[in-house]
Amino acid sequence: MHQKPKLAVYWAASCGGCEIAVVNLHEKILDVDAALDFMFCPCLMDTKKKDIEALPDRAIAVTLFNGALRTEENVEMAHLLRKKSQILIAFGSCAKGGCIPALANFTTKEELLNSVYRDNPSVDNPAAIIPSGTTTFPEGDMHLPALLGRVRHLAQEVDVDYYIPGCPPESHQIWNVIETILSGDLPPKGRTIGCGTLTVCDDCDRTKEEKRIPAFRRTYEFYPDPKTCLLEQGLLCMGIATRNGCGAPCTKANMPCTGCYGAPEGIPDQGAKMVAALGSIMDIGDTTGLSEEAIAGKVDEFLKTIPDYAGLFYKYSLASSTLGGRVGMGGEQNGTHHN
Amino acid sequence: MKTGVYFCNCGSNIADKISSAAVSEAAKSFPEGTYVTIVDFICSEDGKQQFEESLKAERPDRVVVAACSPRDHEATFRRCLTNVEMNPYLMQMVNIREQIAWVTEDPAAATEKAIGAIRGAVCRVRLQQPLEKKQLEVCPDALVIGAGPAGMKAALSLAEAGRSVVLVERTPFMGGLPVRFDELFPALECAPCMLEPLMGDLLHGDYAEKIELITMAEVVEVTGFYGNFIAKIRQKPRHVSLHECIGCGECVEACPATTLNVFNSSTSERKAIDFAFAGVLPNAPFLMEDVCIRSRGEICRACKDACPMGEDVVDLDEMETVIERTIGAIIIATGAGLYDASQVVGMGFGTLPDVYDALQFERMLSSTGPTGGEIMTADGGAPSSVAIIHCVGSLDDAHKPYCSGICCQYAFKFNHMITAKLPEATITHYHRELVVPGKEAHSLFHHAVENKNSSLKRYNSIGDLAITRNSSGQLLVNFEGGADTVDMVILCPAVTPAEGADELSAMLDVSRDSFGFYRELHGRMDAAQSTIKGIYLAGACQEPMDVRTAMLEGMASVGYTLAGLQPGRTIEIEPITAEVDETRCSGCRLCGSVCPYHAITFNVEQNVSAVNAVLCHGCGTCVTACPSGAITGHHFTNEQIMAEIEGVLK
Repeated sequence: MHQKPKLAVYWAASCGGCEIAVVNLHEKILDVDAALDFMFCPCLMDTKKKDIEALPDRAIAVTLFNGALRTEENVEMAHLLRKKSQILIAFGSCAKGGCIPALANFTTKEELLNSVYRDNPSVDNPAAIIPSGTTTFPEGDMHLPALLGRVRHLAQEVDVDYYIPGCPPESHQIWNVIETILSGDLPPKGRTIGCGTLTVCDDCDRTKEEKRIPAFRRTYEFYPDPKTCLLEQGLLCMGIATRNGCGAPCTKANMPCTGCYGAPEGIPDQGAKMVAALGSIMDIGDTTGLSEEAIAGKVDEFLKTIPDYAGLFYKYSLASSTLGGRVGMGGEQNGTHHN
Repeated sequence: MKTGVYFCNCGSNIADKISSAAVSEAAKSFPEGTYVTIVDFICSEDGKQQFEESLKAERPDRVVVAACSPRDHEATFRRCLTNVEMNPYLMQMVNIREQIAWVTEDPAAATEKAIGAIRGAVCRVRLQQPLEKKQLEVCPDALVIGAGPAGMKAALSLAEAGRSVVLVERTPFMGGLPVRFDELFPALECAPCMLEPLMGDLLHGDYAEKIELITMAEVVEVTGFYGNFIAKIRQKPRHVSLHECIGCGECVEACPATTLNVFNSSTSERKAIDFAFAGVLPNAPFLMEDVCIRSRGEICRACKDACPMGEDVVDLDEMETVIERTIGAIIIATGAGLYDASQVVGMGFGTLPDVYDALQFERMLSSTGPTGGEIMTADGGAPSSVAIIHCVGSLDDAHKPYCSGICCQYAFKFNHMITAKLPEATITHYHRELVVPGKEAHSLFHHAVENKNSSLKRYNSIGDLAITRNSSGQLLVNFEGGADTVDMVILCPAVTPAEGADELSAMLDVSRDSFGFYRELHGRMDAAQSTIKGIYLAGACQEPMDVRTAMLEGMASVGYTLAGLQPGRTIEIEPITAEVDETRCSGCRLCGSVCPYHAITFNVEQNVSAVNAVLCHGCGTCVTACPSGAITGHHFTNEQIMAEIEGVLK
C-alpha cells in the first residue's frame, strides 16, 4: 500500500495558537489528512515521544515545529525531530525568532524564577520552593526539565529548512505552504515561506502620505480614522517594518500592526529597522536657536510617548535580533541571524 | 579578487608611528589576493607616477590607499585610477595619518589600529562597484528673491553679464525698505533719488529685457538642484497691467473704497485701488481685492471706466497665477524687519500715542509718507521735545542678544533731520552703547553731540526706562533718578529677519541661525553662500546691515553665480546616490518624508517611490529610514558597511 508522507506538528515553548491556526484550516484539514499522514501533534493526538524515537531517521516528511526553546526538553525534541524529519520548518514567530517567550531574555533565569515562584503578590510560597530537578512522590520520581539560560529560536539549535512567520501563521498561508510541499516544487533552503516579500503596507489599503509624527498615541486614546495610515495618525504601527502576507487583518480592524510576521525580506533586525525608520520621521518641532540640551529635552519628550521599547519593537524577534536580549548578563551567546 | 594596498609613509608623518613592515606582515592574513606596496609620498608627482605604474603592472581589481584624509587626496587618487583606466570608485582610502598616526601616542597601538582599519577597507573595497559620474547641463540663469537694494543690485549685475534673471518681489513695488525713507545715513542722500537710477535701469535700461520682475509674488515651491532648480512663483493679481498702465492715477480718484495704508505704517488712508505711496516704482497702482466693494458683492467698475488707457489696463477678474521658471542659482535677498517694540515692556509702543518705532518715523520724515514729511504729533502739532531710545531689544538677552549695528547711525540721522525741520525742538538720545563704526558715520554722531538742542543720556538696562503718560496727558521718559517730559518718543528696535523668512527657509531647506537670519556656509570664508549649494545670500536677510553692505553682498552673490554657472559648461553629478528597488518597495512613503533634497517622488499607480539621481546628494537618510530595505545607497551599501566593520573587528 502507498504510504502517505508523514506530517508532524510539534510545540515547544508556545501558547497553542499555532495549533489553532492549523485547525483553522477548517474543512481543508480533510485535504491535509487525505494527502498526508498527520501522525504527531501532542496538542491533538496521543503519539508519544518514544513512538517518534522508534521511527527510522528522516521518516517524517515535514515537521512544523512551533514554539521557542525554553527548556532542555525543547532542545531535545528539536534535535529528535530534526533527525527524524526530511523537512524541518520553524513554524510561527516563536520558532522563527523567539517571540513572547524570548522577552524573558531581558532578565536572568534566576530573576525569572524568583518572580514567578517567590517575589510575587499572588504567590503563597512560604518555603520559597522553586520547582526544579527531580522530586520524589509515593508514586515515583517526577523530573522537570531545566530552563535554558536564554530562550533560543529553533535555528540557533538545529538546521532549519524553512521558516513560516506569524503569531500565529495565517491559515490561508499554512495551506499555501502545504500545497507547495505537496507540489514538490520547493523553494531554496533557508527561505521564509508562507508570506510575501514586501511589508504589511503593501497588504494595507489605507491611504499613505509623507509622514512627520509629532507624538505617538495609544489605541485607547482615540478612534483612528479608518482610511488613513495608522502611523500617520500617531499609532505605533509596525506594518512598515513587518513582512507582508498576512493580508493586514489588524489594520483592517483599525488596530495597528504589532509586527508578528517579522522583518521584511533582507532585513536582519526588525526592531532596529523600526527604530531607524521612526527616528527618521519623528517631528520634535522647530529647533532653530535651541541649545543641545533643549533639543535633547524635546527628543526625550517625544520618546516618552513610546511605551515599552522592547515589547513593541522586539515582541516577535528578540531571540533572533542583534542584541538577543539584555546585554552583559552572561549566559549563552546569541546564534545566527536568519531571514 | 586581487586587492592592492598602497601604504604611504607620508615621510615621517605616518612612518614614525605606524610600522609598514608590520602592516605588510599582517596583510598575509587579509582576504586572499591582497598585496601591499609601500610608497614614501604617494601624493607627490613621483609617488603618483609610482602608484600608476604599479597599478598598470599589477592590474588589481580593487585598490586601498592607506594615507591621509580622503578630504585631502581622495580626488587625487581617483584621478590616478582614471588615468590607468580603472573605475575610480573601486578605490577606498584609509585615513591612517589624521585619524591614527597623529592622534595615537604609542607606535604599537597605532600600528594595531592601522592594521584593523586597513583590513576593514580591504574587506569593504571588495564589495565596491564601478560607478559612473553623470554630466548635467546647467541653466546659467538666476532667481533673485526680494527687490531691495541687495536683490536689485544682484539682478541688474547678472543681467549685465548676459544672464536672465527672475526678480520676485512680495510687495507691489521695488526698492525694499530704504525706498520708503527720506534720507539715508551717513551722507543724508535722498533715498528714492539714490535708488531711482538703479530701479530705472532694472525697468527700462539696456539690460531690462533680461530681467523679469514679478511683483506681489512669492516663491512657493522650489525643486531641483544647483544648476537646475525649478521654482514655482505664486503671483497675486494686481488687477492693473504693468505694461499698459502709465501711472496717471485716474482710477485712484474714481475708487469709492478706502482702507489704511500698511506702507505708511497704517497711519494714512488709501483707496482700494491706489499706489503704495507717491513715486513708487513700478509706477502703477494695485487693487486690494478685500477692500474693493466688489468683494462685498456690490457692482462697481469705477476704476476700469476711469482709465484713460483703455479697457484692458484694469482687469477686475484677474486671478492668482502660478508661474514656473527654471533657473540655475537662487539669491535670497529678503531683507530685514524690525522687532516688535511692544514686546519690550515699558516702552508704551502700541498703547501710548506719539510713541513710534523707527520705520514709522522714517515714513513720517518721508515726503511720500502720511504727513508729507512733516513731523507732527497725534494732535497735529509739532513736537517741541523728542526722545530717541536706542537698543530697544538689541544687546538684550531677554530679546535679541546681538547689536543691530545700524540703529545708532539712523538715530543720529533722525537727530539731524529733526533739527533741520524743527530747529527749536530738543532731542534726547537714551542709549546703552554707541556704535558708529567706519569712516563716515562719525559726522552725524558729532553733529548730534554738538547740536545745542540735543543731549545723550546713558542707561544701563532697558528695564531702567519706562515711557508713561502723566495726568495732563504728557509723555514721560522715566529713568533712574529722574524723568523727562517729551512730546514724542522714537524707538530703535532690534533689526530682525523680514517676515516670511521661516516659510522660505523651510521650503528651500536653507538653515537659519538662532536669531532666524539665514546661516552662512561659513561666517568669514563664504558669508554670501547658504548651506545649500547654488543658493546664495545677499543683504539683511543674513544679518542687520546698511544699504552699502547690502549692495556689496548683492554683488558677492553675483560673483558666486557667475563663477559657478557658465553657459555651455556642464556640472558633474556624483554617482553616490540612493536607488529604490521597485520590486521591494511597499509604498509606505516614509522615504519621501525624510529626503532633504526633495529627490523622492511617489508613483501612486504603481505604489512605489523613486529617487531622482540628479537631485539626490547621496546623504543616505532614506537608506536608513526605508523600513523594508528597498533603498540602496550606492557606494555605502549595508553589505559594504558591515564588511568594513567586520574587517576592522576581526
